Amino acid sequence: MLYNANIKERIAIPLENLQKILNIALSSGGDFSEIFLEYKMYNSINMEEDILKETAESISLGLGIRVISGEKTGYGYTNDLSLEKIKKVALTAASIASGKLQKNSSFLNSFPIKHNFYPVLNPAHKESLEKKILLVQKAYQTAQNFDQKIKKVKVSFIDQIQYVTVVNSEGFMVSDIRPLIKLVCLCIAEKSQKREAGFSGGGGRVGLEYFQSELKPEEIGRDAAREALNLLEAVLSPAGELPIVLAPGYSGVLIHEAVGHLLEADFIRKKTSIFWNKMGEKVGNDQVNIYDDPTIPHFRGSYNTDDEGTVPKKTPLILKGKLTGLLQDRLSAKLMKKPLTGHGRRQDYTCMPIPRMSNTYLDKGEYAPEEIIKSVKKGFYAHKFQGGQVEDSGKFTFSVSSGFLIEDGKLTVPVKQATLIGTNVDILNKIEMIGSDLVFGLQTGTCSKEGQEVPVTDGCPTIKISRMTVGGME
Amino acid sequence: MTEKRESGELIGLAESLVSYGRVNGSDEVEVSIIDDSEFSVDVRLGKIESLVEAGSRYLGLRIIKGKKTAYASSSDLSEDTLQNLVKNAIKRADLANPDEFAGLPPFSDNKFDFTSLKLFDSEIRKLNSKTKISLAIETEKIALKDKRITNSHGSSFETREIKSILANSNGFIQEYEETFYSLSLGLQAGDTDYKVEDFWSSSKRHLKELEPPEEIAKKAVARTVRQLNPRKIKTQKAPVIFEPMMTSWLLGLLFACVSGVSIYQKASFLVDKLGEKIGNKRITVYDDGLIPGKLGTRPFDSEGVPIQKIPVVEKGTLKNYLCNTYAARKLKLKSTGNAYGTGVGPNNFYLQAGKMSPEEIISSLDKGLILTRTIGHGLNPVTGDISRGAFGLWIEKGEIAYPVSEITIAGNLQNILNHIEMVGNDLEFRSSVSGPTIKIQELTIAGE
Repeated sequence: MLYNANIKERIAIPLENLQKILNIALSSGGDFSEIFLEYKMYNSINMEEDILKETAESISLGLGIRVISGEKTGYGYTNDLSLEKIKKVALTAASIASGKLQKNSSFLNSFPIKHNFYPVLNPAHKESLEKKILLVQKAYQTAQNFDQKIKKVKVSFIDQIQYVTVVNSEGFMVSDIRPLIKLVCLCIAEKSQKREAGFSGGGGRVGLEYFQSELKPEEIGRDAAREALNLLEAVLSPAGELPIVLAPGYSGVLIHEAVGHLLEADFIRKKTSIFWNKMGEKVGNDQVNIYDDPTIPHFRGSYNTDDEGTVPKKTPLILKGKLTGLLQDRLSAKLMKKPLTGHGRRQDYTCMPIPRMSNTYLDKGEYAPEEIIKSVKKGFYAHKFQGGQVEDSGKFTFSVSSGFLIEDGKLTVPVKQATLIGTNVDILNKIEMIGSDLVFGLQTGTCSKEGQEVPVTDGCPTIKISRMTVGGME
Repeated sequence: MTEKRESGELIGLAESLVSYGRVNGSDEVEVSIIDDSEFSVDVRLGKIESLVEAGSRYLGLRIIKGKKTAYASSSDLSEDTLQNLVKNAIKRADLANPDEFAGLPPFSDNKFDFTSLKLFDSEIRKLNSKTKISLAIETEKIALKDKRITNSHGSSFETREIKSILANSNGFIQEYEETFYSLSLGLQAGDTDYKVEDFWSSSKRHLKELEPPEEIAKKAVARTVRQLNPRKIKTQKAPVIFEPMMTSWLLGLLFACVSGVSIYQKASFLVDKLGEKIGNKRITVYDDGLIPGKLGTRPFDSEGVPIQKIPVVEKGTLKNYLCNTYAARKLKLKSTGNAYGTGVGPNNFYLQAGKMSPEEIISSLDKGLILTRTIGHGLNPVTGDISRGAFGLWIEKGEIAYPVSEITIAGNLQNILNHIEMVGNDLEFRSSVSGPTIKIQELTIAGE
């Protein structure tokens, strides 16, 4: 690629200037100042209607300056990296405080990354476009040839490389290079006027070797086609309260929505989360162990340093049914006087960091998956999910795109489009059985909070929930 | 940081890149530049939480060579980066397949009357930070006086000033400026384990049209506390009244299904339905980007196609798909001026108001649900199937009996459009997709 040579120059600001800027940012009496520098390159390839329709390349370059004064934050950003402009941004952010300089920034020391959680053999941004096009074509052709009923296929490949540097007035300086790729396939199947869509994909913080060793593009194409075809045979979902079995993997969305968001420290600190006064309390049965782990090698949600320069830690959220941990960023940790966990993330340089999830999962239990399904006389098996949403009061929903009816302990009729709704504290208490089969969902997920999108994954084993409202049509 | 790069400078940059692309072998070139300044303040429980003030610029590029397309974009506007991007895009275009439908819209010698569209409010440059902060503080303060409110998500005031420039190799070169203001408030009521929450906000292009703090506080409080002590209801089929925000949500789904991109991709249940009845006579939907001062108003779309008032559904008959140039060519139609980035988006997409007041609609209902909020995803445009988590108010004998929560509603858009029984007179353009109160004959409500 054209830009590799001068990336460093693009975001290289001499150390002494960084030091100067941090001091300007503190000039009105702020307690803490920070500069977040970002350079991101993005490539995409899009194939549909049997042709390679278009490619795109995008460059994003800029910096954000944050000043914290007590509970208040001032923020400014720019993509004009002239020193004069950056100084102006620093002054704007500084104005959140209203006083005189208290103390200057400490002398900057560079801290190297201790662990690289995503060593990559063939970084996608350095590979030729032709190689990536080949991956797209393979997935496309497999999906299209899978069955005559497949009428439309769309495949996209996206790769991204993000260079970030964080420096702050405590003298800290750290950099991270984060690759991120994904290959996704959407299929539409048609049969006697009926039309259904199927989706699949994969990727992560990996190189192109992933599509040889871990997940072949052909498999992605097949998986999407298979889902669309299955849905053609599916009936409308039942409506009402039923016992639910959640399939392993995709159902991790439930953990993300029902537990993860409500343990983000900002919601706890502001007492808007239903969990705010329940730390240490029992909220589920002994089998329930939930973690958020930004250090799982090559996962989409992983990082070597969070976007505030904190070393990320695997963080237990619920252990043996007890609420034990929170996802912290700097501001909340400081105000709550709690240790940092390395969960301060931001979408890009235009955004302030906030507490976010990375890779969130419910750990495996002791039941064989078949045993769990067998225990249900009449119920609903939720297989694949489109997504979910939660509000601080604990009410959450998630949308099932495909599932099955369970009748006499067996999966029977395929079912489509249903919404599950519940309250988190209630659902945690209704988790009856946890399978031994922990699986993570597709490496394609994105989580949105306060308008900021970050890559995440989530996972869980087969789970039985004693009762939950299923919103269907019948 | 409200200083703007000289407008001539950005126009010059756009023009020079268009010719740079042509000189380097591209048949067609399109350059768009956005110059954006934002201010936002979040306050919570009477104190400032954060203050953001910043400016940024962004350039988008489309290259078409031999009917092959490549896109690029950058926030780094230095000359060497941009020239490299153009050259690289031309190389990448070579790797794509030719697509006979690719290409820029033909040049139209349209005269644009920017002033009459009322996109820009010069008040934005006079408004100081202190006033902006106090608007947010005042809004929350009024709401917190109500003892039923137990916590606050905070109040925010935001302003944006955007300059858009578009140039292409067919000779199009135009720019316009616009402003946005918004004031919002989110609240919680109830005890720790039985909290309810909601919000209210107002977004306008002109400061004087923004709802005042009292109004926003009042609505946010009312919307929040009316949900206190909810009940769960039995699973059943019942009539459902959609409040205007819910109608807007439903119309958003309709937009996704009449978008020319979904149509040519066969990802909509409305494929091949042009000219056919897709709903009953009460349904008339327009996309009109020329209504002065509304949020979706603009002189031309992101390809430079002039905006018009487009009938989408007239008395139940589907009249037009909403297209950018590419989707229009695929469907042998004309662009409707709905290009938005590289895809398709609404201008002011709305359901025409009816005659009944919302009160009349509610009192007409013997038993049923007023839908006030939904959460989650759950539309399948391919089939029109809808399923969402829902909150609402249960009606008995024309009056609100109690709030309900933890239910879901499910239906099919095709079916819903044929069973809208009443359309309210309370249409307001609160976003680029809007509709009045409507009553739907029956939906499936899942509860206990």
